[in-house]
Amino acid sequence: MPSAERKPDHIAQLVWPGQRSELVTLAATGKSGGAGEIFSIEGMPGFVAKIYHATTSQAVLAKYRHKIQWMMDHKPALPQIPAEYHDIVQLAWPEALILRRSRFAGFAMRKITFERTLELDYLLNRRQAAQEGFDADYGKLLTVCFNLASVIQCLHEKHIAIVDLKPMNVKVHKAELYVSILDCDGFHIATEEFRHDAPQVTPEYVAPEFQDKVVMHPEAQDSFALATIIFRLLNYGIHPFTGVASDHGKYPLELAGRIKQGLYPYGKVAHKSVRKVPASVHEAFPDDLRQLFDRAFASSGHSRPSVREWVDALTIYASKRSGQISPCEKGHLRFSDRPCPTCLREALIAGAEVRRRSFVARVQAAPARTLKYVRRSLRQTHSSPFQAALAQAQLFTLRQLAPPPPISTRNAIALEILWIVGLLIAFWWAG
Amino acid sequence: MSALAALLPWVLVLGIAWRWRPPQAATPSAWVLLIAFGVLGAGPLWFHVLAHSEPPGFDLWKPTVAYWTLAAIMLIVPPLGGGYPAKIILGNYFVLANREWRWINRGFGLFCILLGGLNLAAASQASYKEWEGFKWSCMVFLLTVVLFRMMFVWLPILAEVSIQLYRRATATYRYLSNRFSS
Repeated sequence: MPSAERKPDHIAQLVWPGQRSELVTLAATGKSGGAGEIFSIEGMPGFVAKIYHATTSQAVLAKYRHKIQWMMDHKPALPQIPAEYHDIVQLAWPEALILRRSRFAGFAMRKITFERTLELDYLLNRRQAAQEGFDADYGKLLTVCFNLASVIQCLHEKHIAIVDLKPMNVKVHKAELYVSILDCDGFHIATEEFRHDAPQVTPEYVAPEFQDKVVMHPEAQDSFALATIIFRLLNYGIHPFTGVASDHGKYPLELAGRIKQGLYPYGKVAHKSVRKVPASVHEAFPDDLRQLFDRAFASSGHSRPSVREWVDALTIYASKRSGQISPCEKGHLRFSDRPCPTCLREALIAGAEVRRRSFVARVQAAPARTLKYVRRSLRQTHSSPFQAALAQAQLFTLRQLAPPPPISTRNAIALEILWIVGLLIAFWWAG
Repeated sequence: MSALAALLPWVLVLGIAWRWRPPQAATPSAWVLLIAFGVLGAGPLWFHVLAHSEPPGFDLWKPTVAYWTLAAIMLIVPPLGGGYPAKIILGNYFVLANREWRWINRGFGLFCILLGGLNLAAASQASYKEWEGFKWSCMVFLLTVVLFRMMFVWLPILAEVSIQLYRRATATYRYLSNRFSS
């Protein structure tokens, strides 16, 4: 990129662990976030640079530098992946410091190939996932859940927590099903020699005890967010705190409020004031997963399953050899010995669609049906004895209530005109 | 707007009513009501169309005049054998015994006397604003009568008109389809 080469700001110094350094040229990619902007590094296609915004203060930059330096020196051991997938980046972890004019400006990290991946957010909607070239089934989704939980588990072992864990921060490799976690420089670190907080959160994924508060136990927060993501992935994107309120007056409009009040309607014991969304397929989940979900969402936090528990529970479902996932009669993958969630979902949606179409058809046919009924009543040609009897009864009731005037309709209208004129005169006098 | 332009719609509407009037002779109570409302109707005609103003203090009296006129008609006409005016006000489509009409008529009459008296009391004792509030609250009575009439008289007429229109529309449709198919 010639224009980039001409700008001195695009010349940067990479400082690798061990203090080996080199000069590189950065080129803007147009991708920008809350903290910084992403640049490609010329001559290093496997890496990208994150440069903090120019508005970032020197004090904050100093903190970032300290954190990035620590992260470079303490890279966590990640789950093992086969050698042929060596290019898969599970964490966008800082690999080198970037200096500009000898000042800290950002860091270099391995590049996640966006062409091979899609945002985890897309998996919450099967149609959207299909459009992105990912044919979601329960086998793949459980593998993604397992891989995500495994990466988080590795971080927790090093006392590192994500805190702002949400589908948008996670990329999924379409073919290999491994996950890549972005924004690693925002992680919470709490080791004996180094500590850095992570103030950024997303309310829809924050545990009830941390709603409107500082996240005091980041691992517990990660466990809650992970459980929420797994629930949504397995339940067609339905958030565990989305429901139908019995008492609308007290039901918070926002998910954060519902999380805070513990309005989780998908438990094995039904919630007394909120009902499940009709399209939910959670009843097709195996008991061990449902218990984990109940502990994650229905408990007040003290018995919430850890990420380790999720990894243990998901292992058997992510493995083809375990036999815990098997095809249903229609060929969809489902939990063995459980109803097929895909068939259940299709039936629920088809039922709703049939009811909708039937209702629309009835509404559309109503005028014609009414005319037909009136015509048959007038001609007394009802084919159904019930309708004939009903028509007779209606005529009788009408006669009882208001017998037809003994005068013609025109005469009746004339009388009513006089009556209305009289009414207007009375109104003028009384008003 | 000239007086003629203001009167024209009323003349037109009353002309239709006259043209479509029932062939049967009107009962004496109907005649009395017609005459009374004709006289009362001269009031707005005079004050609004011709004189363009009302005498001072007249608005305080107006409701009492209306209520007591109605009360007088309701209480005086039946003993004279003129029928029951309440039957005409509510609608003679209700199948009620004469005894029941008599009591309804008396009730209406007494209620109108009461309203007229209360209006005078409110006009003389209460503030103008309070009197206005009372006056408009009395309109509930008028509204109730209108609702009764709508429910039991106008709706059957509307149904009848709809059926006749439907018959004509189907006949027209048949005629046109026969004409264009042949």
